[in-house]
Amino acid sequence: MSFLELRMVSKSYGAGAAEVEAIRDVDLSVERGSLVAVMGPSGSGKSTLLTIAGSLEDPTRGEVVIGGRSLSVMSRNDKARLRRRTVGYVFQDFNLLAGLTAGENVALPLELDGVPARRARSAGVSALEQLGIAERAERYPDELSGGERQRVAIARAVVGERSLLLADEPSGALDSTNSEAVMRMILAACRRGVAAVVVTHDAQLASWADRVVFIRDGRIVDQTVPPPAPESLLEDVTGPSQQR
Amino acid sequence: MSVRHALLALLSEGPKYGLQLRQEFEESTGEVWPLNVGQVYTTLQRLERDELIESDDGEAEAGPQKAFRITGAGREELESWLSTPPDMTSPPRDELVIKVLAALRVPGVSVHDVIQAHRRYLVELMQQWTRLKEDEADFDLTFALVGDAELFRLDSVVRWLDAADGRLKRAELEAPGLKTGPIFRRRLVAPR
Amino acid sequence: MTTLPPALAGDRPGDGGVPARRAVVRWAWRLFRREWRQQLLILALITVAVGGTIVGSAVAASTAPPRNAGFGTAEDAATFTGASASRGRVAGEVARLARRFGRVEVIEDETMSVPGSIESFQLRAEDPHGPYIGPMLSLVAGRYPSGAGGVAVTRGVASAFHLRIGDSWRVGGRVRRVVGIVENPQSLLDEFALVLPGQVTAPTQVTLLFDAPGLEPSSIGPTVATPASVARSNPLDPETISLAALVIGMLLVALVSVGGFTVLAQRRLRAIGMLESIGATDRHVRLVVRANGIVVGLAGAVAGFAIGLLAWLAYRPTLEQSAHHVIGLLELPWDVVAAAMVLAVAAAYFAASRPARAVSRVPVVTALSGRPAPPRQVHRSALPGIAFLVAAFLLLGYAGGTNHGNGGGGVPELVFGIVLLVPGLILLAPFFLALTAKLARRAPIAARLALRDLARYRARSGSALAAISVGVLVAVIVALAAASRYGNVLDYAGPNLSSSQLVLYADSPSPPGGIVVSPHGRHPRVEGKTRAAKARATRVAAGDLLAEEAKSAGEIASALGARAITLETTDVNLASAGSGRSWSGPIYVATPRLLRAFGIKSSDVNPKADFMSSRPGLSGVSGLYLLYGNAANKFGPAGGRSVSSDCSPATGCVAHPVIQEMTALPGGTSAPNTVITENAVRELHLQSQVSTAGWLVQGTQPFTAAQIESAQLTASTSHLAVESKNDEPSSYAVITWATLFGIVLALGVLAMSVGLVRSETASDLRTLTATGASSFTRRMLTAVTAGALGCLGALLGTVGGYIALIGWLRDNSLNDGIGALGHVPVADLLLIVFGMPAFAAAVGWLLAGREPPAVAHQPIE
Repeated sequence: MSFLELRMVSKSYGAGAAEVEAIRDVDLSVERGSLVAVMGPSGSGKSTLLTIAGSLEDPTRGEVVIGGRSLSVMSRNDKARLRRRTVGYVFQDFNLLAGLTAGENVALPLELDGVPARRARSAGVSALEQLGIAERAERYPDELSGGERQRVAIARAVVGERSLLLADEPSGALDSTNSEAVMRMILAACRRGVAAVVVTHDAQLASWADRVVFIRDGRIVDQTVPPPAPESLLEDVTGPSQQR
Repeated sequence: MSVRHALLALLSEGPKYGLQLRQEFEESTGEVWPLNVGQVYTTLQRLERDELIESDDGEAEAGPQKAFRITGAGREELESWLSTPPDMTSPPRDELVIKVLAALRVPGVSVHDVIQAHRRYLVELMQQWTRLKEDEADFDLTFALVGDAELFRLDSVVRWLDAADGRLKRAELEAPGLKTGPIFRRRLVAPR
Repeated sequence: MTTLPPALAGDRPGDGGVPARRAVVRWAWRLFRREWRQQLLILALITVAVGGTIVGSAVAASTAPPRNAGFGTAEDAATFTGASASRGRVAGEVARLARRFGRVEVIEDETMSVPGSIESFQLRAEDPHGPYIGPMLSLVAGRYPSGAGGVAVTRGVASAFHLRIGDSWRVGGRVRRVVGIVENPQSLLDEFALVLPGQVTAPTQVTLLFDAPGLEPSSIGPTVATPASVARSNPLDPETISLAALVIGMLLVALVSVGGFTVLAQRRLRAIGMLESIGATDRHVRLVVRANGIVVGLAGAVAGFAIGLLAWLAYRPTLEQSAHHVIGLLELPWDVVAAAMVLAVAAAYFAASRPARAVSRVPVVTALSGRPAPPRQVHRSALPGIAFLVAAFLLLGYAGGTNHGNGGGGVPELVFGIVLLVPGLILLAPFFLALTAKLARRAPIAARLALRDLARYRARSGSALAAISVGVLVAVIVALAAASRYGNVLDYAGPNLSSSQLVLYADSPSPPGGIVVSPHGRHPRVEGKTRAAKARATRVAAGDLLAEEAKSAGEIASALGARAITLETTDVNLASAGSGRSWSGPIYVATPRLLRAFGIKSSDVNPKADFMSSRPGLSGVSGLYLLYGNAANKFGPAGGRSVSSDCSPATGCVAHPVIQEMTALPGGTSAPNTVITENAVRELHLQSQVSTAGWLVQGTQPFTAAQIESAQLTASTSHLAVESKNDEPSSYAVITWATLFGIVLALGVLAMSVGLVRSETASDLRTLTATGASSFTRRMLTAVTAGALGCLGALLGTVGGYIALIGWLRDNSLNDGIGALGHVPVADLLLIVFGMPAFAAAVGWLLAGREPPAVAHQPIE
């Protein structure tokens, strides 16, 4: 049973001659516990796919189902609640609200959902603990490094009972070490049962996924087959082509 | 990868036996490049012939009980090798590049599909490498380095595919019926 | 997934309830704490409005005498003056009132003069421990008199007679011992000598204080008044006025703030998109912006209150002196203060509401991209703005028209007209910005960039320009209103004399009872004019006296090293047709001696002139006519002059008298600033009415206090009264201060606006610096921004101000209204229109040279 399902989703902007189709007839399903990467060059519609999957935008055609509920029948407030309770976002570079400490940022979705501040805070701190930056809880975003900020963002995206994590170029401005750390955390969240979609143009990031979906010009054109067992790899690389 | 220089590097730490050298070589490459014993001894013999290493017993056949040590000439050779960049001036005869270029000329074949096929293959390969990293990299530094090297190499190829894809797309938009001409006109000269 | 305490998994309200709102408000508060500098413009506006209201309303409410001035704690007062103040009649009245209402307190006043001065004081008999007297009497030093031989005096009396506690002083027919210094806290002008009841033999005025609750004062007696009946005769309550001004002011603040909050909301668009992406509802988003508005309002209200209170505390002693009554430390109109603070918060809240709604409608994805769709073209057309200005003009004209300059009526139109001016300016601002950018297309790059930025980001620069325009509008209205008020030559205001002048009035002060004093506790300063009239009435019988006085005047003058110039009056006055304004100030006869004294040769005098005057602009005033004689003493038209139909038949009258401006004449209001020529006196057959009124003592050096005092001493022995310089400000000073205030206000707004606009484009500046722009470019950018905003604001504000005043004064008769406008404060307007922008540009130039901090560092949002 897939947790997130996009069925024949299309989205176009503008009207008449100026109409641009950002994505067309996209089918995608993501199971709990799995990490799917959507890979494509910029302008391919991958970010649009993510915002539609996360209820930030409505599709022009097609249907989005999250946790068995179709978004098309939800009100704006229902969708907001869905984002508070089920969907967590991680964006490329701009993730935290200035003016709130790391801990408060993480606790914010819970507080918005009506959890009393104190309990929300302790849940937030424990989410930060899992990512190993609990000691940064009292810092403001501008006192954190880029990698730390992204970790806080992930903590905020998974805090509470969130079960769908959507990330748009989550390691955008980070160096490779920090990128790797970010992806490890997303993967770790998946291993705990979260369904995750990462949108990227970077093959190294995408290679962390259980499944990579290739998108070009708004269409899904291809996807990887599930990887073979790691052992077979060694034989591959020791083949003659690797010996130079 | 030059086994010759890798062995010299190991011997620069001190005198070693042949078997020990083989074991250390495999460890130092994160057990990614298995080496058979024969290859080790052949290489050692050539090194000794070239007077880059010497053994305790010059007459004896190379064998498990024979210890090798690096000579002054060997050390010089090792150092100059370490600091000499590999020759990258001429494009390698990369099969992938050739396939993509060929696809341009074959009627009825979409070069984008060819590119995507290679891309998927490469990404799947990268997934496997990444999976290994996910499982083991925390424990083995050398393995992580080797894995990174492979990932970056594969990544660069994927990027080339992406760039080629984009370039071809633009070219199609600008001038349908693309003409391809001789590709390698000039040979680059390595900077001295 | 994070493990959660079971409590978190429970069912929660759909909109997050109180915790969600609390979290959102907390964020808004933190943002305000971090970024209050960017909201400085709005904050300052609110602070100034609240502070100004507090000080203004406190001054307005406290300047008027206390409501119970003259009543003490009593509810009613009956006043008897002149003949009705005689012992017998008052005793009967006391008995009658005491029978009806119980306790009656009697205050008897006898007006006494200070010898050698035009000042006077009251010899007052009252019981210092009387039941109602409390607020009207307080002891400054010593004690109250306890026996017939004791007297307590006010500071003024003590210094006039050089009295100290313990001194003996002959007053009221016997020698008394000064036992204390007292004052009337309700009227510090009330100078008196306090004696016990029964010690005043011939009271000028008797006041009976009593309580007659619930009774109409007129039903008790003709001269009975209550604080309420006194207040009724004063229709406009200062608190009402300050409340009205406050509402208008806050409306302006709200209007101007909308732009500020819009900019703020746009700048926070990404953060708001982020908030929505983690599940904030539209209500939460609106709450963020509105909470910010409330926080700004609260901060402004508190800061304004603090500043206003401090300013009030600093100003209170000065105000006590000029208002002439003691003002309590915290005697603020607290209802107005509370209203100001509440309105400040409400204004900020409503100003934030519109951007709040707008921002909650922005799609999340658009918000997240941080690139809001390019702002809708803000009304490029000038038409709506012009329409508003025309409407304001017509409304103001209507208000002025119904008003006839006499107050009452037309107030809603007036308020509404002024309120319309502001949206007119706000709507015109973007048009002018676009126009400027278009004009600047060929300017050097820095100037072009600055002006294009202004035009491109009209949402914020438009509101900044509107704010500056409103600031200038206030300045211009103040300057023009001050100019038309103080520039009115009929209503000449200024110092009475220069410091090197004294006027010695002939004829000693009139006998007790001669001066009408009413109501009790407040008596006008004795004007030189009254003095002159008195002298005129009684001069014939006193030929000998006059000669003696002339001798004394000469002695006084020579003692001061000065000349004594004889001042002669005749039965002439000036009046203005139409506006009902009458002439103020004495008119002396231009005797050859007087003209000589001011260096005027007889050849300088226009043989046709009726008057010569140093008042600027008087000769240009039309509709004047010359009155001569009085009702009892009719003179026919004389000298073959035409009689205007405007002239009242009761007196002799000449229309359009010829007035020659003569700057050599002195300018003081009590000095001979306007004189009638001997020629006119002859033509009107007024020679027999000419009499000596006094002497102007003209020195070369300012007189010292000691010199004036000794002059007073000499004068007191010879029935002369001395008038010396008082501290009335000149009209020139008033206009200048008003203009300066306006410029400072506009400059403050300008500085804040330029700061806001430039901080908005700080990243551009960084990029420019990175691409190698020199400090010249940076200076140019800021200077052009400041200068352009200042210049446009000055122009718009000036035009708006003129529209308001022309509209308002349109109907108030040409000679008075437009005539006053014709008296343009050119220097002040030049200062506003050119000086202010130039100053702003110069300061911008000087301050912008600094390299922007950390070129590469982009502040995190």
